[in-house]
Amino acid sequence: MKMWNTALAISMVAAMAAAPALAQDKTLNMIVIEGGDTTAMQAVVDAYTAAHPGTKINLQPYPFAQFFQVAELRLRSKDAGIDLVYVDAPLVASYASRGFLSPVDASIDTSSLVPAAIDAGKYDATQFALPINNSAQVLFYNKKLFADAGITAPDGLTAGQNASQADVDTLGSSKRWTWEQVADAAQKLTVKDGGRTTQYGFTVEQFGELYQLQPLGESLGTDVIAPDGVTAKGYLDSEAWIKAGTYWHNLYNEWAVSPKSLGYGEAAQLFGNGQLAMFAGGTWNLPILAETGVDFGVAPFPYFEGGKVLTPTGSWYVGVNAASTNQAEAFDFAKFLTTSDEGTRVWFKALNQLPVSKPLLDEISTSADFDAFPNNVFRLGVYDSLNTAKARPVTAAYGQLQDAFRTAFVDMANGVAVKDALESAVQKFESAAARVAQ
Amino acid sequence: MVRSKTPLFLLAVLLAPALVGLVVFRLYPIALAVSDSFFNMLRGNQVFVGLDNYVALFTDSAFWKSLQVTLWFNLLINPIQIALALGLALLYVQKFKGVAFYRVLFLIPIGVSLPTAVIIWRIMLSPDGLANGVLNIAGIPGQPWLTSESLALYSIIAIATWKGISYWMIFIIGGLQNISPEIYDAARVDGIKPWQRLVFITVPLLRPTLLFVLVADVSINFLLFAPIFMLTQGGPADSTNVLMYEAFKSGFIFGDMGRAMAIIVVVVVILLLIVGLQFRLLAGKPEGK
Repeated sequence: MKMWNTALAISMVAAMAAAPALAQDKTLNMIVIEGGDTTAMQAVVDAYTAAHPGTKINLQPYPFAQFFQVAELRLRSKDAGIDLVYVDAPLVASYASRGFLSPVDASIDTSSLVPAAIDAGKYDATQFALPINNSAQVLFYNKKLFADAGITAPDGLTAGQNASQADVDTLGSSKRWTWEQVADAAQKLTVKDGGRTTQYGFTVEQFGELYQLQPLGESLGTDVIAPDGVTAKGYLDSEAWIKAGTYWHNLYNEWAVSPKSLGYGEAAQLFGNGQLAMFAGGTWNLPILAETGVDFGVAPFPYFEGGKVLTPTGSWYVGVNAASTNQAEAFDFAKFLTTSDEGTRVWFKALNQLPVSKPLLDEISTSADFDAFPNNVFRLGVYDSLNTAKARPVTAAYGQLQDAFRTAFVDMANGVAVKDALESAVQKFESAAARVAQ
Repeated sequence: MVRSKTPLFLLAVLLAPALVGLVVFRLYPIALAVSDSFFNMLRGNQVFVGLDNYVALFTDSAFWKSLQVTLWFNLLINPIQIALALGLALLYVQKFKGVAFYRVLFLIPIGVSLPTAVIIWRIMLSPDGLANGVLNIAGIPGQPWLTSESLALYSIIAIATWKGISYWMIFIIGGLQNISPEIYDAARVDGIKPWQRLVFITVPLLRPTLLFVLVADVSINFLLFAPIFMLTQGGPADSTNVLMYEAFKSGFIFGDMGRAMAIIVVVVVILLLIVGLQFRLLAGKPEGK
């Protein structure tokens, strides 16, 4: 990583030598996720640099699959070649506990942001990262496949129908499907031809990921891990999680309604091709699906019958690398990105992710621009984030938890017994967490 | 100009590229691994913990399970690869009709890069892939090649073997061509059977070549990582979680470099022991005895 320092030093020296008049010019470097996030971030950067001509911001995009490793390595090596870093909500504790992030400048006014999102950027009561956006999960369903099979589709938002925030609140509070209903419909919607499945009934967008599957067991009454952040015994291997795991196991084995090992973006692809009747996924799929021509509806994220309604939440934060030599400038951009009216607006327009800015959320609820489909889906996001959202656990060993959880759920889908898979996950997480917490 | 009897300077210059490479790419990383294995990262600081990382491994069931998988994997893959490579080499040097076609066929895997080969195999072994298609035609139900606890490790062995044996075959062919034809002629005059020729002439005279192939093959298979990383990520239920993958996960996913390096050092020590043993067993007797 020294190479980066040297490269940066050389480029800065060169810049100063070339233009002594602009000696206070600063170049900030930020690592982001490749794709839509980078495009959206570039839009915010353009807006910022238009107002701050002395500052240049370089985005360094990495593919999602490598992002966490790159961030981990570069932060750990105290690489001053990055100033700003994209932080996934549950990793705030892990980064902060190891001194990777600078405490957020106290002068930044965060009163316009949703308090729960602000809290998730804290570690040991200190703010280490600022929320860029929130996220919301919904159930996408293909109306034609339901009609062809003669099954009643879930209540939801569809093309051609307007919905006020009050309508959407009713949908979210009293017309939400249960996982049992999903499984029932999925079995009727799965079509097999010979040994091959030509049409799948249901899938989740992210195969085996804690973010999406955490509500399965938690809505049945037991958290993934204990509040101490290191204990999983009695939690992830509890009755509730065994029931949730069994449901998951059945999706892939007994009922065989879900395709195994879907990669990034593949659920939306299958759905767009008409080979998938339902999938639980993020609102970021809306622009992708709008282009496919499939007539689809959007229903609230399901829950277990008799259980509590809980939905996934939390998303990306921005933090400042503790090793950065441009602390003040980096925080100034973070402030623009997360708290300014212009920054939050540019970001939302570009990425279609549920905002954390209160003025924007109010606008979604009240502005006529959000009456029509698919914009009104964000009203479902507003309802869930106020009523049913459950954040991921706070633990310095989040990476370990995420990995143990994913391994267990992928194994179950592949036929490993539910109890064995969960017990193995508990054991793996606890031994890895003990090393972090020592 | 000073002339010395041994051209030391010339020797140094000629060996320098190889020696520098050896130090930079082999010895330095090993030294770094050893030193890093004595440290842990706590609250952003490297803390010296002595042998703690090694002590922790001894009571770590994930490590023992992974060690077990690694040893079982190597116990199977190395004899299989060497036996098949020897068989292929023996076929390769025969003269029969269509031998050129056969030779090309078995050199193809060398020309395909490992990641490409792994991706092709993943597609062929997918639930709706070619392998299951062929089975279905034969009336056999499709198999979960890479997703079942009882099959995944063997699928990886098959893929690595497919990729590896032609390479080892080339070395063995070289060895076979070094065996003087007069010995075979003499044996034929003495009326020995083909299997006796293999066991008593070919294999003993191939010993130096086989020793090299065995040592190199064992080292490569002990450090095999890419197919596991690309196909199974150590699953299902840890059935393909070899030590190299466990170390990778520890260091690069969990940020626990101390544990990762301790595992790597254990792998290197095991490998040195095995290679040492192989040298003793196979190179011990001087020829002519």
